[in-house]
Amino acid sequence: MFFSWDYLLQGFSLAVSPANLFWALVGCLMGTLIGVLPGIGPSSGIAILLPLTTMVGPTPAIIMMAAIYYGAMYGGSTTAIVVNIPGEASSVPTCIDGYELAKQGRAGPALGIAAISSFVAGTLSLVGLTFFAPMLANVALAFGPPEYFALMFMSLSLVVSLSGRALLKGLIATALGLAASMVGQDPLTGGVRLTFGSEELMAGVNFISVIIGLFAIGEVLLNVEEAAAYIYEHKKLDWMPTWGDIRQSWGAMLRSTGIGFFLGLLPGCAPSVTTFVAYDVEKRVSKHPERFGKGAMEGVAAPEGANNATCSGGFVPLFAFGLPTGPALAVLLGGLMMYGLQPGPMLFKNNPQFVWTVIASMYIGNVILLVLNLPLVGMWARIALLPFPVLGPLIILFSVIGAYSIRFLAFDVWMALLFGVIGYLMRKLGFPMAPMVLATVLAQMLETSLQQSLLISRGSPLIFFTRPIAAAFMALALLSIIRGVWLEVRSRTLEVAEEDEA
Amino acid sequence: MRTQRAADIASGMFLCLLGIVVVLASLRIAGSPDVRLHPRTLPLILGWIIAAAGVILAAQAWRFRGEDRIIKWPDRAGMVRVCVTLLSLIVYLALMESLGLPLSTTLYIGFLMWYLGRYRLLWAAALGLVSGATVYIVFIRLLQLSFPAGPLAR
Repeated sequence: MFFSWDYLLQGFSLAVSPANLFWALVGCLMGTLIGVLPGIGPSSGIAILLPLTTMVGPTPAIIMMAAIYYGAMYGGSTTAIVVNIPGEASSVPTCIDGYELAKQGRAGPALGIAAISSFVAGTLSLVGLTFFAPMLANVALAFGPPEYFALMFMSLSLVVSLSGRALLKGLIATALGLAASMVGQDPLTGGVRLTFGSEELMAGVNFISVIIGLFAIGEVLLNVEEAAAYIYEHKKLDWMPTWGDIRQSWGAMLRSTGIGFFLGLLPGCAPSVTTFVAYDVEKRVSKHPERFGKGAMEGVAAPEGANNATCSGGFVPLFAFGLPTGPALAVLLGGLMMYGLQPGPMLFKNNPQFVWTVIASMYIGNVILLVLNLPLVGMWARIALLPFPVLGPLIILFSVIGAYSIRFLAFDVWMALLFGVIGYLMRKLGFPMAPMVLATVLAQMLETSLQQSLLISRGSPLIFFTRPIAAAFMALALLSIIRGVWLEVRSRTLEVAEEDEA
Repeated sequence: MRTQRAADIASGMFLCLLGIVVVLASLRIAGSPDVRLHPRTLPLILGWIIAAAGVILAAQAWRFRGEDRIIKWPDRAGMVRVCVTLLSLIVYLALMESLGLPLSTTLYIGFLMWYLGRYRLLWAAALGLVSGATVYIVFIRLLQLSFPAGPLAR
């Protein structure tokens, strides 16, 4: 049998041993730091520390590496909320409302809600991992290229809602983001395209450069122009979320847990996709969708919850089939194999003690991270009290480090600079930036899965409508687009009517 | 481009041109026998979408007769500050490979803090030095990331 209370309790008894607790704490600390620091994502963080884990046994090593992974997810929201730098694509939706809240002097409560939402989603999705792993793992196997394309297409359709009232400009930003992502090499054939003869452009435009440029550098330029003394107008800072904030975000935490966990089961469906989906769902179910983008606490809770739930969801196919759903889990898989542990159904049979100790340690790790992060909220929020002439150059420095460390190419930093100027102009001209980010994040997977699907179907696009899961996603995407266009047309008609009346 | 209407007309025309450039560049993409979808198809569609959307944006703005929004462009001093910040960033990036990240960071942070905050030169230089040293110790020595170290690599 896959699950047994005896195994789980035994796992907990081993996880609370001083040595395992210590390594979980070290992993949580490092993960938080990796999340906060620009440039080192969880995958490179785990890869850097992998050789250092050889001094401990396999169980504490994997406990530490898993803690780094979900710890980085906790830390990633910090710079997104406080200074509008999303270190990872998954933090972009957090920026939208988190930074707005920070500008209103509510960075502390936003960081607190991010930590609480991460804890709730992380813990609840661990329950899913504990009890339903074998059943859920099959979901990952039901997904082929057509299902992925349909899922990515549905995610791309979110640009309609992310565009707000500037639908045409949102669609233009999406098309520009997709076109920018196509610069370089074709992912399937390796053929060169849209490089205009430049060798540098063959490297392609990485979406992290786009994000850093649009958000961080663009924001700094805007503050430089205004000769801002401080990054926020409000110098009064709240430290902790109120009960009202928690009540307001509770539903978002639970919904994002479900979305993040179930989408996290799918290989390739990284937190960068699930956080956008969770944010969009929250906006749609909200009684006050107009607050989104202006500092809605649910707009922070939803992506942060989805982020951590996706993390835990990813462990299901990793443990059950040895199928990593993202780069960080691929490195973790390498760690498992380094210790001679072959993930798959036999892992639970042959090494139950190891698996259940790691799972139990993840419950404990989530508690450690909450206890660790809540007191730090005040410290991170104080960054905002730095004068802008000090903070602005530091934001650019972190942006340069973040962009350079994607592939250790100066080209990526130049791209971040270019997109910084584009971001500055987009703000001035009223173009929404989130659709461009989403397009650059999804572009490669969208294109690859489309090409693979058409190879399977010998060129027939009907494959997206004849397979049930793909057809369901396509229907959802089309509904989302039709609804967005209808809302736009209706608001325009109302505007014209109001003008006529006036 | 002081008003939203004028800006939309200008950006629509620019996007139309950009779309045409993408279309022309896409037409030069070579085919591949291994795929069902010609590699130029998606860039070509996107080029047409950008061009068409640009035309629609410009046309909508042209026909717009409502109350126009004034775009808050920077004044002369603001424009100078933005240009100096961008230029210093370009110099920083240009020097990064030869001088190394720590030294170029020291110069860049020192200069920009001095320029934006009008701090005393010594104070700004000290802040620049601390930033450069932090980059060197944390990212190059401690984490051993492959950042250009310049003369400090020796």
